[in-house]
Amino acid sequence: MTHRPLPGMHFNCTTAHALAGQRLILGLLCSGLIACSPESEGPQTAALNQTYPAQPGGTMISAMPSDPSGMIGMVAGESASLAIGANLFNSLLKYDQHLDLAGELAAAWQVADDKKTITFKLKPGLQWADGKPLTSADVLFTWQLITDEKTHSPYASDYQLVTKAEAPDAQTFIVHYSQPFAPALESWASLQVLPKHKLAGQDIHTTNFAQKPLSSHYYQLKEWRHGEYIKLEKNPKSVLGPANIDQLIERIIPDPAAQFLELMADNIDSMTLDPITYARIIPSRPALQARLNQYKELGNSYTYLGFNLKRKPFDDVRVRKAINYAIDKQEIIDGVYLGLGIAIASPYKPGTRWSNPHLTPYPFDPAKAKQLLAEAGYTDTNGDGIIERNGKPLSFEVLTNLGNKQREKTAVIIQRRLKEVGIDTRIRTLEWASLLTNFIKPGDFDAVVMGWGLGLDPDQYSIWHSSQQGPGQFNFIGYNNPAVDQLLEQGRLEFDPQKRMQIYHDFAKRLYDDSPLVYLSAGYGLTAIHKRVQGIMHPVPPAGVSYDSQKWYIPEPLRRTQIQAE
Amino acid sequence: MLHYLVRRILWMIPMLIGISLISFLIMHLAPGDITSTEAAFDPKSSEESRQKLRELYHLDKPIIVQYGLWLERMVHLDFGHSFASHQKPVFWAETDKDGNTTPGMIQEALPITLLMNIVGLLLTLTLAVPLGVIAAKQYGRWPDRSITLFNFIGFSIPGFWLSLLLMYWLGVIHPWFPISGLHSLNYTQLDAWQKAQDLLMHLFLPVVIPAITGLAGVTMFVKNGMLDVLSQDFVTTARAKGLSDRTVTYRHALRNALLPLITLVGLSLPGLIGGSVIAETIFAIPGMGKLFYDAVMMRDFPVVMGILTIGSALTLMGNLLADLAYTWADPRLRRGVMPQR
Repeated sequence: MTHRPLPGMHFNCTTAHALAGQRLILGLLCSGLIACSPESEGPQTAALNQTYPAQPGGTMISAMPSDPSGMIGMVAGESASLAIGANLFNSLLKYDQHLDLAGELAAAWQVADDKKTITFKLKPGLQWADGKPLTSADVLFTWQLITDEKTHSPYASDYQLVTKAEAPDAQTFIVHYSQPFAPALESWASLQVLPKHKLAGQDIHTTNFAQKPLSSHYYQLKEWRHGEYIKLEKNPKSVLGPANIDQLIERIIPDPAAQFLELMADNIDSMTLDPITYARIIPSRPALQARLNQYKELGNSYTYLGFNLKRKPFDDVRVRKAINYAIDKQEIIDGVYLGLGIAIASPYKPGTRWSNPHLTPYPFDPAKAKQLLAEAGYTDTNGDGIIERNGKPLSFEVLTNLGNKQREKTAVIIQRRLKEVGIDTRIRTLEWASLLTNFIKPGDFDAVVMGWGLGLDPDQYSIWHSSQQGPGQFNFIGYNNPAVDQLLEQGRLEFDPQKRMQIYHDFAKRLYDDSPLVYLSAGYGLTAIHKRVQGIMHPVPPAGVSYDSQKWYIPEPLRRTQIQAE
Repeated sequence: MLHYLVRRILWMIPMLIGISLISFLIMHLAPGDITSTEAAFDPKSSEESRQKLRELYHLDKPIIVQYGLWLERMVHLDFGHSFASHQKPVFWAETDKDGNTTPGMIQEALPITLLMNIVGLLLTLTLAVPLGVIAAKQYGRWPDRSITLFNFIGFSIPGFWLSLLLMYWLGVIHPWFPISGLHSLNYTQLDAWQKAQDLLMHLFLPVVIPAITGLAGVTMFVKNGMLDVLSQDFVTTARAKGLSDRTVTYRHALRNALLPLITLVGLSLPGLIGGSVIAETIFAIPGMGKLFYDAVMMRDFPVVMGILTIGSALTLMGNLLADLAYTWADPRLRRGVMPQR
């Protein structure tokens, strides 16, 4: 639930909204119409490469694929709401550019010696856009709201661990836990604080506040045409000081091909790209490329081949390792992501503190794979090319979700490589809800190609702890390692970043040795932003391209004239 | 006549209940519910909160009980609230105790889709009728051949492909039309005339493209009807009387050839509220097609059922209206005389 502010946000799109054939359409457009080149060298092209001093004003227009249902992220439960909300509401804490915790509403926070109590001291003089003071009462109210019995929030569990919350004075907010819980700090960096004076006594689900929010952050909602666009304007009373750009407009354009056409026509300044647009289509159009900056950044997510560890033959670590060696990850990255991804060796973003630098991804080594399989008792006795043990061929089904072309292609590449070492696989694609309800939840599957999108806290208790294997819980592969359980429990108790780092490095090493799943790749998030938007941090900090987007500015000579007329 | 009308309308009630029961059952046969689509795989969400949601939405009850609850609300014309979209009212706006109004989802999407489809239907008809008449009059000669070829091409071109091609040509190379969306960003600052113009420009491509691709069917329908009629005795009689070709074609032949078109238009009435997912997705228009598609993908049952109920009610109404229009247009039916053929 950690979300960076707009623009150029990264959508964690598990539900495939994409219509089939978008890739094809873009391909057709480019091959069929390559002759006509609409982007002439504008008079601005030279000006675009000039750097101007930072100045307030201007409008930035971006595209997003779906309309948020409301501005209250905790009940909307969708990335679009949280992403827009990140421009409107503040949290107590935030992550700085190096992904370390920093204060946002809180000037300071203190973890008590028994680690069970956290005291936040709010900055003085905070206020909402309507001039009313923003105090610890608002924070307390927000906590009460998300943990309320009547509130439908998928994110309530971290906050329900708080046994008591109190606001003894306007600047102080104290939470008590029954036992130390280190991920709590991340949870206070993701809870968007809402105004008590507007929401008290209202039904959070039906309140009009979701359509007309009162903000405290850099921007406030100016106009929202449902399904068309959202206009945000600068909040002069922003608790963190004013942003540079006057107005942010998010246009809701579901189809990526249509988004790209709008980008070509210079009707939008920024959009997220897929690998083919980033690596092939834009570079083939020099005039377009000349007015864009393209960014790539590693997201906190990865794709994997996961095994049902409760089933044979995946209960045998040699088989799991053999499959890991038999798959060429670089091939998948090059073929599916056009090189825009990297192989990983731990479930953390490479280059961050939590990623263990001593682990290297399993290399592609079919010989070693065959050797491990032979050790596990699998040999091809009947000469059909499939290896068997006790007359039973090594054959399984790989499930993935329909509509995610990248995962479908990945599954096909895996199928071919496994065939080379004598393993027979069948690929089955299923609609998302059906995959989850009929296969994942009851644990009725052999192997899956899926992905994890993670938060910034290293805690992965819900994914790996052996207690989390019930129906609907996230350790659906059935991983059970007492040593890992213990590390995960320790990691939750430890607040000191250095000690935590050691714990999670150790955890990643054990996962690496157990190979309960094959890390396939961590893909880059890709963004194009028009060069008229300046002041973007370069090189891209670990926190991502949109970090400190309030410092972005659009120099006056580069602004659009038409919209400026308003 | 009145008796007939009342009976037809009363019959619609059991039909509607039957339709809604079947759609309800089919919708719930699809695996999963809102809790498996919304934030389902976010490691920060928990199974307990999902179970709580299922209880709140009565999704843990047997399907027939859920249907009963839904029917009970429908009797009071309460379409309920969306699961996925922040509890927005499904059909019509609601005002809370503080006087804040939240618009209904169908209420917002329906006018857009209706406008697009009615304009599109009118466009198709105004093009298809003359084309069909010309093709029939010039049967076998080059105008007929070229109309058939044009129709064939229009029918075969995938709509989404033509859309993107025209968006590129008329939006990027020659920026004459807006590429996507329904209103310009400065819409609220425009005066009434500019607003209409703005809307028209935005609707041009999304209306014209389906009209072109949908032209073929109607044109062929009109052409075949005309061919049938033109070879009939009364047309020969009219010509023998010495009437001009124009009078024969338009006053006598066309009127008879258009009768089957009434059925076609009647049947397309429910389609008017349907909307096209693909066109709405490509052109970024928040209409009914996208609303329904997203609701099905999210397993947002109240929205799906709301749209299906309104759709089936309109289908039944459309059938009734088509029958009535038929009676009005064809005097033989009005007098209870059956057509000869």
